[in-house]
Amino acid sequence: MVEPFKNTPPEPEKLGVMTEGNLKAAFAGESQASQKYLAFSAKAREEGLENVARLFEAVAYAESMHARNHLSVLDGIGGTVENLKAAFGGETFEIDEMYPAYDAVAKLQGAKEAVTSIRYAKTAEQDHQAIYDATRETAQTGKDMEATPINVCPICGHTVIGSAPDECPVCGTAGVYFRSF
Amino acid sequence: MDEVFEKKLPKPEKLNAMTGESLHAAFAGESQAAEKYMVFAEQAEQEGFPNIARLFRAISFAETRHARNHLRVMGGVNTTVDNLLVAFQGESFEIDEMYPAYQEIAKLQMNLQALKAIFFAIKAEEDHKRMYADAREAALKGADIADQPVSVCLVCGHTVIGDVPDKCPVCAAAKEYYRTFA
Repeated sequence: MVEPFKNTPPEPEKLGVMTEGNLKAAFAGESQASQKYLAFSAKAREEGLENVARLFEAVAYAESMHARNHLSVLDGIGGTVENLKAAFGGETFEIDEMYPAYDAVAKLQGAKEAVTSIRYAKTAEQDHQAIYDATRETAQTGKDMEATPINVCPICGHTVIGSAPDECPVCGTAGVYFRSF
Repeated sequence: MDEVFEKKLPKPEKLNAMTGESLHAAFAGESQAAEKYMVFAEQAEQEGFPNIARLFRAISFAETRHARNHLRVMGGVNTTVDNLLVAFQGESFEIDEMYPAYQEIAKLQMNLQALKAIFFAIKAEEDHKRMYADAREAALKGADIADQPVSVCLVCGHTVIGDVPDKCPVCAAAKEYYRTFA
């Protein structure tokens, strides 16, 4: 592979069907690698391996760069209004179809921890769906959303605009542990 | 922070095949959502929407919580020695099989931008594979790796331990384009 590859991230192009499928798979792979490495980083920190934790964190970030590049070639990055619509659509699918189906199967099979993990996710996706919808309406008028803090529960992902509650209404984690953006 | 919450987080359990598949798919979905939202945050920033950018980042963080929870239930988070092996094997698969196959097809279909994205990824995965192998050797002896900064190229993901080069050897981006984890 020689040299045409300078300096800038790759751009959208018209893709062969096979290549499109491959880039989608590569985007899925890089995204999952990134998330795995972040979880591994937390584990290494727990074991007192601070420098390994940092290595995992850095490599997770590198995989994010690859994920972004693949997404860019797939033309998956629009304007913000469009992105908010795509985000809303993704959350809606998870709430209406994906998690209810998985939840039914997990209950049928008596997988208690899976049911909990699915419930945490589905409940937070409902927060996200509502927030994305309201934000898109604002963005469509050319305006940013308000500069209010956004708080996220580190256990279940419950997301609130404004201050953190005393206790997470979904999983009971104390509000002081919420991560504030 | 995770150890504080060990009791609250969903735990690994023996899963039947169908629930295992569901969680795999959910992990894939949450991981991709988290990445997408980070990219969308950058885009919002560029358009002069700093608060929407912050929203995307916050929700991306929420999705990483879900991805981690699903991964834990599947038994995917183990000791660091084991995690480093899993990481090494993942990189090896991408270098030896996945990206070479995708590369051939992209060449056949003359998709130059796809080739660029694949080339950038494969080069960085080679760095990662080596770093994980070294880290595993240290961790097997119960030792941490040396306390050195790790830097990542924002364009191509090139990863380097120690000093940042003047120019990225893979994509030629200037050293200012590196993010350093120190």
